[in-house]
Amino acid sequence: MMLTAQDWLAKIHMLPLKRRVRIMNVCGGHERSITMAGIRNALPKTVELIAGPGCPVCICPEEDVYQAIQLALHADVILVAFGDMLRVPVNMSKREVRSLEQAKANGADIRPVASPREAVKIAQENPLRSVVFFAAGFETTTAPVAAMLLEGVPDNLFVLLSGRRTWPAVAMLLDSDTPAFDGLIAPGHVSTVMGPEEWLFVVEKHSIPAAVSGFMPVSLLAAMYSVLRQLLEGKPFLDNCYPELVRPGGNPSAKAQIAQALNDADANWRGIGVIPASGFVLSPRFGSHDARIRFPDFDLAGRKRAGQMPHGCECASVVLGKINPNQCKIYGRSCTPKSPIGPCMVSDEGACRIWWAGGVRNNATVSTEDAQTFVVE
Amino acid sequence: MQIVEIDGFNAHCVAKGIGREVSLFMLQDESIEIGDCVMVHVGYAIQKMSELEARSAWEVYDEMLALEAKGA
Repeated sequence: MMLTAQDWLAKIHMLPLKRRVRIMNVCGGHERSITMAGIRNALPKTVELIAGPGCPVCICPEEDVYQAIQLALHADVILVAFGDMLRVPVNMSKREVRSLEQAKANGADIRPVASPREAVKIAQENPLRSVVFFAAGFETTTAPVAAMLLEGVPDNLFVLLSGRRTWPAVAMLLDSDTPAFDGLIAPGHVSTVMGPEEWLFVVEKHSIPAAVSGFMPVSLLAAMYSVLRQLLEGKPFLDNCYPELVRPGGNPSAKAQIAQALNDADANWRGIGVIPASGFVLSPRFGSHDARIRFPDFDLAGRKRAGQMPHGCECASVVLGKINPNQCKIYGRSCTPKSPIGPCMVSDEGACRIWWAGGVRNNATVSTEDAQTFVVE
Repeated sequence: MQIVEIDGFNAHCVAKGIGREVSLFMLQDESIEIGDCVMVHVGYAIQKMSELEARSAWEVYDEMLALEAKGA
């Protein structure tokens, strides 16, 4: 018998939860569904849902965004990037160009794309110009970049890759002294590509319950029920509540293509630091398409706050699930979707932007209300 | 999205009346036919969708317990 979202919710309310339980998700799509469906308010008060590292734009190294801006301004290239990247600010003074959007307004040839295939098309249509594809993303976006390279790209297409793996950030959180959560909702599409087994370490090494979830409330609530029941029964295992897409081993073609086109590397996460083996770089086979090899490094020695989050912005703590978006002191005050300061307010997958879109307007640092209380307009 | 046309690794797919060109390059280990549904991310099909529904291993566990109880 197929259970509905209401059924799962009723089952969750029947669980004898006696202490506060924190469940983390690590996917912007999950956070969006949770917020838009009002799942936080529908759950028992003892269950706290935490948005974790689920936004690749938010942690894209500041120096990579800076490099993309400088390439677009000074290297006579067409720069293409996923639309989310265009408004991400770097740490420059207000008199200088601080985002790809501003660089475009200053005459740089910058074109937003929704797919690596569009980057290829732009390169084919402009054979006499160099095209740099600034590709930031987690495994679901990086795998298509690998596919694009293996399928064959024009000589004038170069990739500035800021690809990241999701699980090393969760491993880093769990290896810290005070893990921020008691259960994990594992990402659906990352698991679709890479296989759910990537998340076994959460259960096996840390004895923390985990469940892979899809993006509909019914799948998310099934995963939350599973995690809570695993906790209550003291039987942590990796559940798969997204079987329509997530298969053992993931997508073998995609994984083979990643292995052929890319290598693992230690990688910087904006405001967080270097996480071992959390990044992708182009393999030497594709060195002739690597923008980091083809173009000079524009980074400026001694640039203030290089690599960091903007001044006053607590996106790094939001990304790591240490605070809720509205516990950042600039949330909804100086930082709004209209004039974002931090990348979490820029990206559609950023927790701050999602909470704002979900109607959360109170800043918990200036409110007497509990940070988990939502004021919805 | 549902596949309506296939040409090599390229497929024309539709969802809710909207058509898109989609790459099947990442599904080389799957047998793909017109009419199949695929999950698409940034223009690439990342998996063929099955008709399974969201569920938890606890459902199976509880069903087994109920059967055992009946048997006893």
